[in-house]
Amino acid sequence: MKFPIRYEHFEAIEKRAWLLGVLTAVMISIGGLAEITPLFIEANKVQPSEGLKPYSPLRLAGRDVYVREGCYLCHSQMIRHQRFETQRYGEFSAASDSVYDRPFQWGSKRTGPDLARVGGKYSDEWQHRHLENPQQLVPESNMPPYPWLTKKKISGADIQARMRVLRILGDPYSEADIESALAAVDGKTEMDALVAYLQGLGIDNVLPKAKQ
Amino acid sequence: MSTGWSLWVMGLVVLNIGITLFLFFWGTRVSIPTEKDGTSGHIWAHGVLREGVRKVPVWWYVPSVCVFIISITYLVLYPGFGNNPGTLGWTSQGELERDIAVNDALLDPIMQRAETQSFKSLSQDPQALHIGHRLFQDNCAACHGRDGLGNKVIGAPNLLDGASLFGGSAEDIVKSIRDGRNGVMPGWEALGYGKVKNLAHYIRRLSGESADGPSANAGENYFGTCAACHGADAKGNKALGAPNLTDNASLYGNSIEELMTTIDKGRQGYMPAWKDRLSNAEIRVITAWILGNETASAGK
Repeated sequence: MKFPIRYEHFEAIEKRAWLLGVLTAVMISIGGLAEITPLFIEANKVQPSEGLKPYSPLRLAGRDVYVREGCYLCHSQMIRHQRFETQRYGEFSAASDSVYDRPFQWGSKRTGPDLARVGGKYSDEWQHRHLENPQQLVPESNMPPYPWLTKKKISGADIQARMRVLRILGDPYSEADIESALAAVDGKTEMDALVAYLQGLGIDNVLPKAKQ
Repeated sequence: MSTGWSLWVMGLVVLNIGITLFLFFWGTRVSIPTEKDGTSGHIWAHGVLREGVRKVPVWWYVPSVCVFIISITYLVLYPGFGNNPGTLGWTSQGELERDIAVNDALLDPIMQRAETQSFKSLSQDPQALHIGHRLFQDNCAACHGRDGLGNKVIGAPNLLDGASLFGGSAEDIVKSIRDGRNGVMPGWEALGYGKVKNLAHYIRRLSGESADGPSANAGENYFGTCAACHGADAKGNKALGAPNLTDNASLYGNSIEELMTTIDKGRQGYMPAWKDRLSNAEIRVITAWILGNETASAGK
C-alpha cells in the first residue's frame, strides 16, 4: 500500500504564499489556544470572595487617578510566588485580590516597589506629602512629583456614573451605595482619593482570613 | 482546570507534536522525483534559480530530534500536559515553600537569638544588626530617613539624637514599632498671633536658642496651658508623647516660624503599627540596630 500523502500534496502550499501564511498562523496559534483560552475562560469565572466589597466611591475615584497618572508603569501590584517577593512584600497575590479591577493593575515593570500590600505601611500624611514631592521624604527617590492632584476635586456625579456602569458589569453596588457616593467624595481632592486607594491595597481587597 | 479544558490542552499538544513529528520524519524520507540535472524542476526568475534536492543536513537533524525529546520529557516530568501533574510533582507553591524553608533555616538561628537574647548582646551581633539594618531600610527609612536622622516634613523623629517622645529604652522602642504612635497636640489658634509668637520665643529660650527677651518673658506667662502636657519644667511627658522642650531636638523644626505653626495648628504625627508586618524578632533586631547607631553617633 502506498503512503497516502505524497510530495505533490505540498506543492499547493509551496506555490501559494498566502496558504503557507495561513497554515503557519494555524500552527503557531496552537500554543496560544492551549495556554491562553482555558486561563481566559477560567479567570472570568473567578468569583469575588463572600464578604469582599467592591471599591468604595472614594477609592474607586482614586483607582482611576492611579490609572490616569500611569502609576502602573513603574509600580506593580503583583507579588509573585517567589521567596524574595513574599519576604519583602508579604503574602503572594491571588486572582481574587483584583476581582473588582477593570483592568487589573498587576503591571509588568518595577521602577518603584510593588504596591499590592502597601496599604497601612505609611501614614496618610506620608502618602500625601510623598505624592506631592517624593524627594522631600525620600531624597534618593526618582519618582516624579504629582502636585496637581491636590488641586482638583472629585465629581460625585461622575463617580456615580462609573458605579452604575460597574454595576452593569456585575459589581454588586446597591442603589444606596450609589446614593452615598455624593457625600463620600464631597470636597475630596484627587489626592485624597488616590491616598485612600493606596491605603486600602492589600486590606480592602483581601479578606481578613486570607490576610492571616 | 476542568476536565474539558484539560482534554482541550492535551488534544492541542498531541496535535502540535504529532503534526511536527510527522512532517519531520516524513519530510526527510519522502522521495521527490528529480530531473536529470538533479534539481526538482522548480524554477524561479525565468530559470536563473533552480531548486536542488538535498538531504536534511545533520547539524539541523540532530538538534531537532533533541528538541522533540526535550519537549516530551518536559511534559512527562512537569505539569503541562492538561491536568497531568508530572512525575516530579513540581508546583510553584511547593517551590516557594522549599525556598522559604531553606531561607528560614539560614535565618532561624539569628531570629532565635533575636527573640531570646538581651539587646545588649544583640547590639554586638553583626548578623542581627545586618538584618536589622536591612529591615530598617525597607520599612522605616521612608519616614525616618535611611540613616535614621528623621524628617521634619512629617515630624518623623531623629532616631540617633538620644531624645525621645515615648521613651528611648529598648522596650519603649519595641512598643513604638509594634503598636505605632499617635501625636495628640491640639492647635492653639485661639490664643491669637501675638501669644503664639511669644510662646515660640519662650520655647526657643527654653532650649537655649537665641530668642527675643521681652517676647519670651511674655510667653512664659501663659506657658501654664502647655505645662499640662509638657510639664511645668517643660521636660515633656513620655506617657503622652509630649516632647521635652528644653533640649535641642525638635520634630518639626525650631525656628520661630516652625514653632509658631506647631503651636498654631497643633501636631498629630502618626506612626503606623508594624505588628502585622514584622515579627517580634524582626522588631527586636531593628531596635537593636537603632540603639547601636544611637550609641555610635553619641560617641562621635
